Amino acid sequence: MIGFAARRLGWALATAFVASIVAFLLFWTIPNVDPSYWLGGAEKGTNETRARATEEYGLDDPLPVQYVRLMRSILNGDVECFYKCGSMRSAFLDALPVTLSLVAGAALIAIATGLGLALLCVRYRGRWQDRVITTAAAAAYSLPSLVLAALLWAFVAYRSDLFPNEGYVPLTADPLGWAQHLALPWIAAALPFAGAYTHVVRASLLQTAGEDWVRTARAKGLSEKRVIRRHVLRNALIPPVNIWGLDISHAFGGYALYVEVIFGLPGVGLMTSETFGSLDLPPIVALAIYLAIVVVLASAIVDIITAWLDPRLRRSELRT
Amino acid sequence: MRPGAAPAGPGALAFRRLRRDRWALAWGGLFLLLVVVFLAAPLYADVVAGTGPSDNHLTDQITIAGEPEYVVSLEGIPIGPTWHAEYLLGADENGRDLMVRLLYGGRTSLLIGAAALALTLLVAVPVALAAGYFGGRTDSLISRLLDVIWSFPALLVGFLLASAVNLRGADIGPLTIEPGSKLIPIAVIGLVYVPYLARPLRGEVLALRERPFVEAARAAGFGSPTVMRSELLPHLWTTMLVLAPLLFANAVVLESALSFLGAGVPAPEPSFGVLIEDGIDDTVFSPHLLLAPCVALVLVVLSLSGLAEGLRRALDPQSAIAVEVVHGQ
Repeated sequence: MIGFAARRLGWALATAFVASIVAFLLFWTIPNVDPSYWLGGAEKGTNETRARATEEYGLDDPLPVQYVRLMRSILNGDVECFYKCGSMRSAFLDALPVTLSLVAGAALIAIATGLGLALLCVRYRGRWQDRVITTAAAAAYSLPSLVLAALLWAFVAYRSDLFPNEGYVPLTADPLGWAQHLALPWIAAALPFAGAYTHVVRASLLQTAGEDWVRTARAKGLSEKRVIRRHVLRNALIPPVNIWGLDISHAFGGYALYVEVIFGLPGVGLMTSETFGSLDLPPIVALAIYLAIVVVLASAIVDIITAWLDPRLRRSELRT
Repeated sequence: MRPGAAPAGPGALAFRRLRRDRWALAWGGLFLLLVVVFLAAPLYADVVAGTGPSDNHLTDQITIAGEPEYVVSLEGIPIGPTWHAEYLLGADENGRDLMVRLLYGGRTSLLIGAAALALTLLVAVPVALAAGYFGGRTDSLISRLLDVIWSFPALLVGFLLASAVNLRGADIGPLTIEPGSKLIPIAVIGLVYVPYLARPLRGEVLALRERPFVEAARAAGFGSPTVMRSELLPHLWTTMLVLAPLLFANAVVLESALSFLGAGVPAPEPSFGVLIEDGIDDTVFSPHLLLAPCVALVLVVLSLSGLAEGLRRALDPQSAIAVEVVHGQ
């Protein structure tokens, strides 16, 4: 288990390293573009800004030197920026709990709903309840979070006093306010996933329920509850757990971006879209790398948890 | 079947199943209808509405039920749905006809989605064939690369790539991409979804490679490209057909998210994302500006999902193809 965790984290570091190089090359050195042009921002490309940028960032140095210098400043947290200054790392760490709250809450809602509905489907298999739930799940799956978030913000949050229009309160300061700020973003983010998970878990449950050892468990005279809990559910949840893991790690750079923009949640998504609007190069690369680290770490942690749940996965080839 | 007739092949059987599947046909029909309606945007603009998607009518008046009304009131509030030829769905704050903008926007979004899907297929199929067929080092290199892309969320990768290129354009060989060009979202979306298609295809090629007919073709002296094209490729159509509508829906949603965030279609030009971004500003006086693009986008995604589900029932009744996509994330 520890070996697996170490290998998985090693692979995560390697992925983050590759991502950092790609981000650096992407923003720093696209062919025939002089980065100082847009370091100069509004005063684009005057000789003065170019000289200033070249001097300040050492743009004459060889690329590996520039890469190492940039990475060092990004990881130390003292990224120099051209316009507004302030530590990118501490701003990112301040924003992270907001996004964590959004993602964790939405994932919990989606998983609980998907699991509950799938169990109902299996209990009423083939009857109208099953059909109603699977149809509703397919419909929910087809509602993009972007649309849900926009509609919920405009027609619920904006018009009622119960849900604030924007902002965030930490859980530790005011649990009720925290939930009020996040309730609608959670729904917008969770609904499509809840629909998808209902289908995935239902299919997996039905497949597992047809296995020989489930029949054996029934033949042994175990109660239905025990058969479902100990024999079906445990095995049927392995494929969905992998999907949940990927979705959770993706959420940090997925729906978090626009859900936070729409609901004015000061998390990493809002930060990303604001930073990219500022056209300020080093913070952009810094943010891209911080996000890459979060995504890669999240998926590693989730994989390690999955492997802990299912020992067979520890021996299998490393997945990403 | 008449006696003596050749037994129906798997393709014909699947087609027969699809033809009898009323829901699949209904969703497919709705999707085709939407495509036709959106593609006819210029026709609607010329013949029915008599105005273009970017034409402002700030000071115009129109007559509705005998009463003259301002397109944009003196307080700056645009007219709501009139349910007449002009301003069918109302106007926006610049007095632009929302229905015309919606149709043009849908056309742009669908064209970007289709082009991105074509790019995904064009890249993913050869890559998957090469990885699965050659195996060994080629396979592990390609698979690892796909894994790295796959482990990052499509929206984030798309947003970073699109922002980088949008800021200053790019020269790729003879191709010059201007900032704000629609080629940017097409390329970005198309490439981001490559792993979602290439991974399942590679798995299939890997299994097919060991089958006797491939060995026979190789023994008959056919080179690798020929074996891949005429022995392996025909077996991949099923997966491609089942996944294509889902990837199409994803591409359209991703385009909306990118445009919403300002990294897709540049703002004055309509697309679903741009219209949603415009519409969210003032929903107290003009809810139609937000509702119209949201409903249109949901219809497109819903019809594509329904079609994908139907194709899956027809082509893959055993549900053997793993689907690992949730919209636009």
